[in-house]
Amino acid sequence: MGISAVDGQTARARKKGTTSKRERKALFYGLLFTSPAILGFLIYTLGPMVASFYLSLTDYNVFKDQTTFIGFDNYAKLFSGKDELFYQSLGATFYFVVLRVPAVIIISFLLALLLNMNVKGRSMFRTIIYLPSIVPAVASSMIWLWLLNPDLGLVNTVLDWLHLPTSSWLFGEKSVIPSIVLTTLWGIGGTVIIFLAGLSGIPKQYYEAIDVDGGGWYHKLRHITIPMVTPTIFFNTIMTIIGSFQVFSEAYILTQGGPNNKSMFFVFYLWRTAFRDTEMGYASALAWILFVIILIFTFIVFKTSKSWVHYEGDRS
Amino acid sequence: MVRKQWKFVSVLLVVMLSSIAILSGCTKSDSGNTNANANSNANTNAAGSNGAGADENAGSADAGSGEKIKLRLTGWGAPDEVAAYKFAIEKFEKAHPNINVEFQAISADYDTKLTTMVAGNDEPDVAMMESATIAYPLAEQGKFVNLQDYLSADTEVTPDALVPNITYSAEPGNVIGIGPGPETFVLYYNEDVFKAAGIEPPPADPAQAWKWDQFVDVAKRLTIDNKGRNATEEGFDPKSIKQFGINLPTWWGVYSNFIYSNGGDFLSADGKTLALNQPEAVEALQKMADLINVYHVAPSPLQSKNIPGTNVALQTKKVAMAFDGQWATASLAQSKFNYNVAPMPVLKQPVTTIVAGMFSIFKSTKHPQESWELLKALIDPDASLDVITAGTWMPSHKDWYTDADKLAKWTQNLPSRPSGYKGAVIDMLLNHSHATPTSYVKNFNKIMDVINPAMDKVWLGKQSAKEALDAVAAKAQEQVQGRRDVK
Repeated sequence: MGISAVDGQTARARKKGTTSKRERKALFYGLLFTSPAILGFLIYTLGPMVASFYLSLTDYNVFKDQTTFIGFDNYAKLFSGKDELFYQSLGATFYFVVLRVPAVIIISFLLALLLNMNVKGRSMFRTIIYLPSIVPAVASSMIWLWLLNPDLGLVNTVLDWLHLPTSSWLFGEKSVIPSIVLTTLWGIGGTVIIFLAGLSGIPKQYYEAIDVDGGGWYHKLRHITIPMVTPTIFFNTIMTIIGSFQVFSEAYILTQGGPNNKSMFFVFYLWRTAFRDTEMGYASALAWILFVIILIFTFIVFKTSKSWVHYEGDRS
Repeated sequence: MVRKQWKFVSVLLVVMLSSIAILSGCTKSDSGNTNANANSNANTNAAGSNGAGADENAGSADAGSGEKIKLRLTGWGAPDEVAAYKFAIEKFEKAHPNINVEFQAISADYDTKLTTMVAGNDEPDVAMMESATIAYPLAEQGKFVNLQDYLSADTEVTPDALVPNITYSAEPGNVIGIGPGPETFVLYYNEDVFKAAGIEPPPADPAQAWKWDQFVDVAKRLTIDNKGRNATEEGFDPKSIKQFGINLPTWWGVYSNFIYSNGGDFLSADGKTLALNQPEAVEALQKMADLINVYHVAPSPLQSKNIPGTNVALQTKKVAMAFDGQWATASLAQSKFNYNVAPMPVLKQPVTTIVAGMFSIFKSTKHPQESWELLKALIDPDASLDVITAGTWMPSHKDWYTDADKLAKWTQNLPSRPSGYKGAVIDMLLNHSHATPTSYVKNFNKIMDVINPAMDKVWLGKQSAKEALDAVAAKAQEQVQGRRDVK
């Protein structure tokens, strides 16, 4: 069907003033084409979520033939203090989130500011910054494992050469989580891109106005750039919080939760409970607790957003 | 207009949702069916295992009728090991033309995949299992056929025909798996390093094996710093070591050898209390840790991240000696340098821990007898001779050690079998072997979850073995559930 034919139809539909056939058709095709995503969400996300909530109320163990409904016993056990690793993993994960979220936001914002400047080879710099984020976590983790090797690693060798104190990085109880944060910062290209999009959406005349008024770069940053990108900061903060709480592959590949369980992240502990100990019911309870925690944090950020996120044309 | 549109949307949603319901309904009823099948199978099997004879008769009747049978087998392994399984399967299929074996070689996340298969009631008939991970949790739920019945009924593969400590039992009389071959622990060394230093290499005969102090003394003399001083000399700098005396892996497989050698154990004889914090075990662990932190003859856990595999480490003289499993002979043989092998140093008596994978048969199989035949074919040394002569494996059948002709087949004139092999590996295996702790310590993983972090501190020299283990003994004791080898 040609475009003109469609136009013809619309014209006719408008003339008659009834529900347009075209609109209905558009709706049909719209839903048809989004149905893979919708069905995928319902079957592979919502369904398993509902199932896992039910399973979290049972003692489901993959290897046991019988599964009994035990109400909230799994949750009671988690909060009774008997499961020390639960608290340990919560602590490790919170520590990771607290370190990583501000670091990601600040560093990627600064990188985006730099990349937004009109310099030669800008697109090349953009590519270089973005490139690591498409490297699979496994590959980049292996590279970091070598870089951060306490004895032979490049990082310690350089520090040693500069007569700076070295660290045992991933193998020290105190340094392991900061080290993992460091390795993940390498892949913030995606966040940078979103900031860049936010920055390029700022109308030029605002800056011109500052120039006219005689302000400098600080005023531009403080009164134009930052307020204008707060929606982007808001979005990136939420996405980074959600992503950081779910940290897994770094613990799985780099440390296996060690040393002395200091990098036993929540999802890694969940995975171990589910697949090594095969206690799926208990692991489902863990998953729901993480879900609630993420929900609460997202909610808090949303609530506070009113006071610091500015939308254009929104005067409140 | 708006109303009409919504009607349309709701109709579409209903269609979508109902299609989901139908789809998920299908899978549900399907899994229900398999479930029922599995259950009835388990029942028949349970009935059958009361009298293995009856089961076997039914099985051979099946085989006789020439009915087409498909067996599913899962396993893991390096490419040459997988090739050995494929060869064994080919041989098996030739001998049993009515049986078709579908072999799934799962290279990564084996346990996760098998767990998923079990969850979906889609178990294979025969599976390779690992005693330190999911084998026992599955066995405790009665998922495996008791191989004892087959072992006692069979004419070729009987308990006496196999080398010691190669079968795994959930409790006495309930064999859940048989290993395709044993693996021992040994002391490897670079002969050239000893020659250059003018030091007598360790004897291969277990009766004359090095005592611990002799070993420490040699390790000191073979640990050399950047300026060429060894660890016994004045001015030796432990911070810049060029060649370590010994490479010391710190996982339980290695330290179990010394605990057993010192008369210690993981659990008490009655299985009721933790024994890792008892004097014999603590002494052995402390002596190992002293190699790192007192004598500086072994790399610390941090330094050992830079030590390559045993073959390269010995060849490049990063270490003069190394503790490792028998399986390392395969890579050592390929590295082409003068290495040799000796028994582990002795604390009180010579001991080697035997570790092995295992083949198990799932109770849900419809063809237990055929599965047993397949298992036998898989552990047949003749079928896997290539991997055995290459060095990775050792035969599971005892006559391959005692019969001179058969022994010659896999030990004579091979780079993977140096001159010390007979004493250090074969004699040790037949006369001085100990079962792996994973085979008899119940709840092994959970106990080790408590022990491992404590041991990390010992290897790093932050705590003594006694302090570290005493500190976690109560917590580890909570996880103690007894031994599998006592009733």
